[in-house]
Amino acid sequence: MGVNRRRFIMFVAGAVAGTLATPIPFKLADDSSIWTQNWPWIPRLQYGGIAHVPMISKLGAPAPVNVTTAGGRPCAVTGNAKNPLSQGGMGALAPAEVQLRYGPARIKGPLKKAGDSFSPLSWEEAEALLLEKMKAAKGKVAAVCGDETGTAAEVLSGLVAGVGSSAFCLMPGESHVAARAWNRLMQGKGQPGYDLENADCVLAIGADLFESFGTPVRNAKALAASRPAGADSKTTWIYAGPVRTRTAAVCDQYIPVAPGAGAAFALGLAAQLIQMGAAAEAQGFEAFRALVTSAYAPAKIKDATGVAPEAFAALAKTLASAKRPLVVAGSVMGRGGAAADVVAGLCLNLLLGNLGKPGGLRAIPEIAPVVTGGLTRSQMLKADLVDFLMQVDAGKLPAPEVLLVHEANPAYALPEPETLGKALAKVPFKVSFSPFMDETAAMCDLILPNTLSLERFEDLITPYGSSFASYTMAAPVAAPACDAKSTADVVLGLAKTLGVDLGFATFEDVLAARVAALAESGGFMSDTVMPWQAIADGSAPEGGDLAEGLGTGTPWVSVAQAEQGGLTFPVQVLEKALPGTPDAAFPFSLVPLALENVGSAKVATPPSNLTTIRDDELKASSLCLAMCGQTAAKAGVAGGDLVKVASARGEIMALVDIDEAVMPGAVAAPLGLGHTAFDVYSRGKGANVCKVLTVSAEPVTGLPVWDSSKVKIAKS
Amino acid sequence: MGLILSLGVGWFVFPQVLYSEKQQPFNFSHPAHVENAGMSCEDCHFFRDDGSYAGYPTLEKCAECHAAPQTDNPDEAKFVAEYVEKGKEVPWLTYQYQPDNVFFSHIAHNAFDCTDCHPDVAKMDKTPTYYQNRLSGYSKQTMKMWQCERCHAENGVSNACFVCHK
Amino acid sequence: MEFKEFTIKWGMVVDLDKCTGCGACMVACQAENNIAPISKYENFDASNKLRTLTWLLVYKMENGKPFPEHEVAYLPRPCMQCEHPACVPVCPVVATDKNEEGGIVSQIYPRCIGCRYCMAACPYHSRYFNWWDPQFPEGMDKTLTPFTSARPRGVVEKCTFCHHRWNAAKERARKEGVDPMNLPQDWYQPACVSACPAGAITFGDFNNAEHTVGELSKSQYSRRLLAKLHLNPQVYYMSKRPWVLAMLDNYRAGDAHGAEGGQHG
Repeated sequence: MGVNRRRFIMFVAGAVAGTLATPIPFKLADDSSIWTQNWPWIPRLQYGGIAHVPMISKLGAPAPVNVTTAGGRPCAVTGNAKNPLSQGGMGALAPAEVQLRYGPARIKGPLKKAGDSFSPLSWEEAEALLLEKMKAAKGKVAAVCGDETGTAAEVLSGLVAGVGSSAFCLMPGESHVAARAWNRLMQGKGQPGYDLENADCVLAIGADLFESFGTPVRNAKALAASRPAGADSKTTWIYAGPVRTRTAAVCDQYIPVAPGAGAAFALGLAAQLIQMGAAAEAQGFEAFRALVTSAYAPAKIKDATGVAPEAFAALAKTLASAKRPLVVAGSVMGRGGAAADVVAGLCLNLLLGNLGKPGGLRAIPEIAPVVTGGLTRSQMLKADLVDFLMQVDAGKLPAPEVLLVHEANPAYALPEPETLGKALAKVPFKVSFSPFMDETAAMCDLILPNTLSLERFEDLITPYGSSFASYTMAAPVAAPACDAKSTADVVLGLAKTLGVDLGFATFEDVLAARVAALAESGGFMSDTVMPWQAIADGSAPEGGDLAEGLGTGTPWVSVAQAEQGGLTFPVQVLEKALPGTPDAAFPFSLVPLALENVGSAKVATPPSNLTTIRDDELKASSLCLAMCGQTAAKAGVAGGDLVKVASARGEIMALVDIDEAVMPGAVAAPLGLGHTAFDVYSRGKGANVCKVLTVSAEPVTGLPVWDSSKVKIAKS
Repeated sequence: MGLILSLGVGWFVFPQVLYSEKQQPFNFSHPAHVENAGMSCEDCHFFRDDGSYAGYPTLEKCAECHAAPQTDNPDEAKFVAEYVEKGKEVPWLTYQYQPDNVFFSHIAHNAFDCTDCHPDVAKMDKTPTYYQNRLSGYSKQTMKMWQCERCHAENGVSNACFVCHK
Repeated sequence: MEFKEFTIKWGMVVDLDKCTGCGACMVACQAENNIAPISKYENFDASNKLRTLTWLLVYKMENGKPFPEHEVAYLPRPCMQCEHPACVPVCPVVATDKNEEGGIVSQIYPRCIGCRYCMAACPYHSRYFNWWDPQFPEGMDKTLTPFTSARPRGVVEKCTFCHHRWNAAKERARKEGVDPMNLPQDWYQPACVSACPAGAITFGDFNNAEHTVGELSKSQYSRRLLAKLHLNPQVYYMSKRPWVLAMLDNYRAGDAHGAEGGQHG
């Protein structure tokens, strides 16, 4: 039987007809369409029971949050509704707590500097190397710590003290300035706190309340509570400063105040209030009255502050007629501010008579250390890192032999990075505990990567600005995603081998001791009563199961206040609070903005946060410099121009963005950009504004101030 | 000739070739657990407090009893050695596998019997062979969208897209 | 085209007088819904907003006046889940539809053919096209939530009001014996709503008298975005600032209804 053409065609026709009568074409079409829906390179989801586990976010402003886990795997972050510091809300850096476990900049294990690069080594080798260097340093050890609110700082301070050094410095923050103002200059006790929840009129001078000041999430929640949607507002919010910040955008009133004139503005307001009959019973009040009514009479400081006398009068009237007025003073950038600004703000509160009252200024008592030799927060805040490094640079202080850097990136986030970088470079052996390859880690000789917050025991002690004392604790939610160790445990181990007795073997034990101590010190678990309710009622609730409550993310809270004695109006520091005469060489004032979505002093922009940066803040790889049309005309530049922004200490490049939210004479730009380390998502984007910040010495204390730097702008 | 051949291929050979046969990581006997150990279905297959369905028990749950082998069954020995001791969840093959874009709520279908959709493994001493579609990667028993839709339509339940998709 | 009326109508009322533009909502949304970070093919540059994926985007509104009269407001923009969506009728493959109780406009990724008609139709720019396959840094795909399926290159995606959270709330209701069609307001809240530190967004069922959104949407301070287009968004914005309210219906500066003009960021 030969195959002829006819038979062949019949065969093919039969095969086609037969095939069409089978599932082949239909099933194949269906399956191949499904095949195209599930490419192997598209990530698949992983399932499991959903839980919300408490943790503490410390990438930005420290705040309690919950981690969403699916089958025990952390996958998202939400607010912690049980905690008064969160009330279910969270900041823009909190979600990165989970994602950055796998961030490209995460350091996978211990590293040792080898020439220009790093080589990995085991934890045993790394810890042995550190021990050897610590022994050889014979007490010439310094530490920089960026974890102000954690007990880990206390452990590290205990080690530093234990080896005979006093060089333990926290990264500069708003709390430094407040401690200098309240504890040192005004002789106040405790940590200043602001009862925003109970106030009915809040004046923020400089302080970017809802973005960066103290406890921004809690502050914003206070705004939310005071403004029920669609109903009448319960609180008048007023912002005074050189830039209409994010805080000012939602305030009822905005008062433009010239850069660097925050203190003068507050003192002018004080003069007005005194004229209206306000007084305070504290030492030095008469001298204060004499000073403000003469040197800071509103008519006199009109030009210096840019505020008209009528505006002073109206504002003073608003404050005086409020039932519970409150003034919060701080720096727009949240660090590097002058003590005089905060002193002036605190003095206003004394004049308004709100100290210790509901809706007023509150002095939060300190929690005693549990670590043997560990410092209290107020002791830690006495040291000034910028001052220390400047003295090292100038040769007035010897450079330490070993520098330990914990949860901090001083090479990036301090002012005058070139000067201070030279000081850092003088240290022969630098150790970073950073979990990320940041600018400081990149210049260190040894890196012992810390675990991330959700991979370790973590705690949060009364953040600055909070109107109540609190303690929140969290156990590890997941195992470290790489070969990292909790620095607190590494330090405890190091102390033991060095023969320094810190009193504990593990960090978990330290926290257990802290909880036991708190249980003895009054206070309550704030699961039903919020602390501001207790403040408003004048009650001081006690009780609650600490261990159980802390395990669920509920904090221990106390509304007790530090007893005052010898509170003083420090006239001397206020005498020279007027902004200096304009410098013809550097005619503009730079206002750096601390925007949490962009990043923090600790961490660069996480991958998911990039989309939140507006194109009038960062355009392609250029930083944008905001200024109003009047300023641009004076500088001879136009919107979109690439300009060189130079101070006496450094220069950066930026694109001009015409933004009428910035006062004439001032220019504003976000901090947190221009990284040279970290990862592809942040490296080389924009410029680091810190490069043009210039440090000056504050009158009376002589301590460094860098939040009102002067710059010049030239088209490039 | 061509007709017969292609019909044969299409109806008998193709379905064989399209699916690869896979076995579960090790044999699991439901009767051994229910009849011998006296467990109930809900000990492992239950609704969590949030209403979601715990399909397979977690390793932790299994290890409550199987921290060490209880019998000389080789499958149990394999489970203990390869999963319990290594802390690794068992990668069970799901006969009713659905892709990520499908959302299925067990509790919404609670009025039905489990075996309306699932194989009656409760009565099986040996875990059935899993047939995986070589092209789509889905299980042979994966319920197709038309099946879901037909049942929804018959029961007067919405067939809107987001009822089942995510 | 006629659209159904639903017993449940989920929606938002956004109080623009509380939004500080902090961006927490955007980041929470991206984590919750497995939105990939900006692609390497875009040089990791997210400042080009034409190529980013932001189901929720916070716009900056300005009143256009010089300092110091200049004012700023921030406007978070999710999908408006319009009662009469412009995107649905143009879809040639019914990949997007408004057919479920709750009135959330659905988007089915495997069905989408990437023609982008819906993007052209949506006046709110709420829809986004996947120009690239999702790229997570190595290992970061382990942080994906089980809530939203990953999207490949070539499909359109948009905000779903965290529809999976509604599904979860309904499961919880069935477990606890609560009517899934009559959920307490706080049982179902999208990720952005719960993340917002300033409590700017209220979310609930407009048709449920026990939920607060119905009342809020009728406030004298409430408006819908581009109301003149009559798409009837299920998202309302409220503000006591007249210039903000005026700008909400001003889709082009100098338009007959226009206020002072504005700039989108």
